[in-house]
Amino acid sequence: MKLKEIEKVLVEKFPDAPLSRDETGMSGAQWSIAVALSGIREAAKAFDKAGFFLESITALDFEDTFELVYHFNYYEPKSRVVVRMLCGHDEVPQSICDIYRGAVWLEREVHEFFGIKFSGNADMRMLLLPEDADYHPLRKNFGKVSAYHKREVIYG
Amino acid sequence: MAEQDITQETSRVYSLNLGPQHPSTHGVLRILLDLDGEYIVKADPVIGYGHRGHEKMGENRPYKQFLPNSSRMDYLSGMIFNHGFVLAVEKLVGIEVPERAKYIRVIASELNRISSHLLWFGTYVMDLGGFTPFLYAFDDREQILDILDSVSGSRLTYSYCRFGGVCRDVDSRFIDMTRAFLKRMETRWADYDNLVTKNIIFIHRTRDVGIIDRELCRQYGVTGPNLRACGVSFDVRRSEPYEVYDRLDFEVPTGSKGDALDRYDVRFKEMQQSCRIIDQALDQLPGGAFVAEKVPQKLKPPKGDVYTAFESARGLSAYYMVSDGSPGPYRCHIRVPSFGNLNALNDVLPGTMVADAISILGSIDVVIPEIDR
Repeated sequence: MKLKEIEKVLVEKFPDAPLSRDETGMSGAQWSIAVALSGIREAAKAFDKAGFFLESITALDFEDTFELVYHFNYYEPKSRVVVRMLCGHDEVPQSICDIYRGAVWLEREVHEFFGIKFSGNADMRMLLLPEDADYHPLRKNFGKVSAYHKREVIYG
Repeated sequence: MAEQDITQETSRVYSLNLGPQHPSTHGVLRILLDLDGEYIVKADPVIGYGHRGHEKMGENRPYKQFLPNSSRMDYLSGMIFNHGFVLAVEKLVGIEVPERAKYIRVIASELNRISSHLLWFGTYVMDLGGFTPFLYAFDDREQILDILDSVSGSRLTYSYCRFGGVCRDVDSRFIDMTRAFLKRMETRWADYDNLVTKNIIFIHRTRDVGIIDRELCRQYGVTGPNLRACGVSFDVRRSEPYEVYDRLDFEVPTGSKGDALDRYDVRFKEMQQSCRIIDQALDQLPGGAFVAEKVPQKLKPPKGDVYTAFESARGLSAYYMVSDGSPGPYRCHIRVPSFGNLNALNDVLPGTMVADAISILGSIDVVIPEIDR
């Protein structure tokens, strides 16, 4: 029920955003929506209002861009929803840590691993790495990697 | 007049390091506490001492070579994390798992869940000053370790699951040992109840201590027994049943207030439910193969995302992998439950006393290496 509710709200808020349903169940989510980088706060507010919790925030590093992936979930069977945003290598996304308090740590983790700064998150210290670390280990130009692709190679 | 310069106001709040080496932190966790007398004003957990870079390791090797890493994330529920990883890869590649293997994995995972909860039970009560229950709990846990050791060859970092099944079949000895363990536990629950649950000192140290309510759980993404303790009946084994959990009859215990006593109660009942699951799974255990026949040596997964959630002893865990069609993932992200559970301490600890902080920290049952990854 919650799923229908949030779908309606998001489609109204982002009429142009492509919404893709997952029939195979591979992605673990019922559907995913790709919003613009500036849209995450609007989306997070909608999820917060509907009572969803924030399951994880992570990023993917491609040759041409970052992609931020937010997983939201509700305490009902099969309610996981994915919000994806493209984020250029030098762009600064907005923080949602005043909407979801747990996002402070999740954004700190994305920041240290990928070097993506979140504007509005006052606490951008290292979380898991040493406090003086000046590298971003999950960037594909760090350490041993097996591949560094453009986004279209994987998502077509 | 010089004495008056050192005013009470400026010297009132002081900082204290809890950890990184402290018996109650179970791993290397440091909490920077700002104290006003015995009361906590601000708590800042400092983590990362056990960071090994599992996500990076996942990205630069084939799926098969990452298999041993999966049990080393949360070393107390290694079997469950191992199980979750093979589930994710099987879903990605499309490997059919024989029925027998599914049951074996569920039995092994539930045994692992009980052993994890037993360790928590023993050490938590010890944190609160009761030494004897620890010995009882470790005695029982030892039985489980022996059972799992007999099939997987190791006591903690099992790596027992394989893509398409498990590495060794279970024999009649395993089944007899497990049955004997279940029989033994029937009388142990009453012992534990008498030793701990009805102990007045224990009740005073846990009741109304460290309340994590529904809203706080939602804000921080708290899951598992900590979430269920505040009355939310949410369990991945129920909401997205994997393997054969939908064929097994079990309850999802919940509490009401979300204090440390509720969290204790929920875990305690969960162990009993796990025994029920194992009992049924042993009854239903079919014959046949324990590993799929045709699993390619070199996996060729399709491109795209795979996300598999499973319930570890501490809550909702998940593997999120992005495949570029090569034998290893392009990105391997692991959602660990302790991350959110520990994060909530930022809001729970302020206002409580130092002695309660130990009780609260123990009651949320965090495993630090799991957070550090």
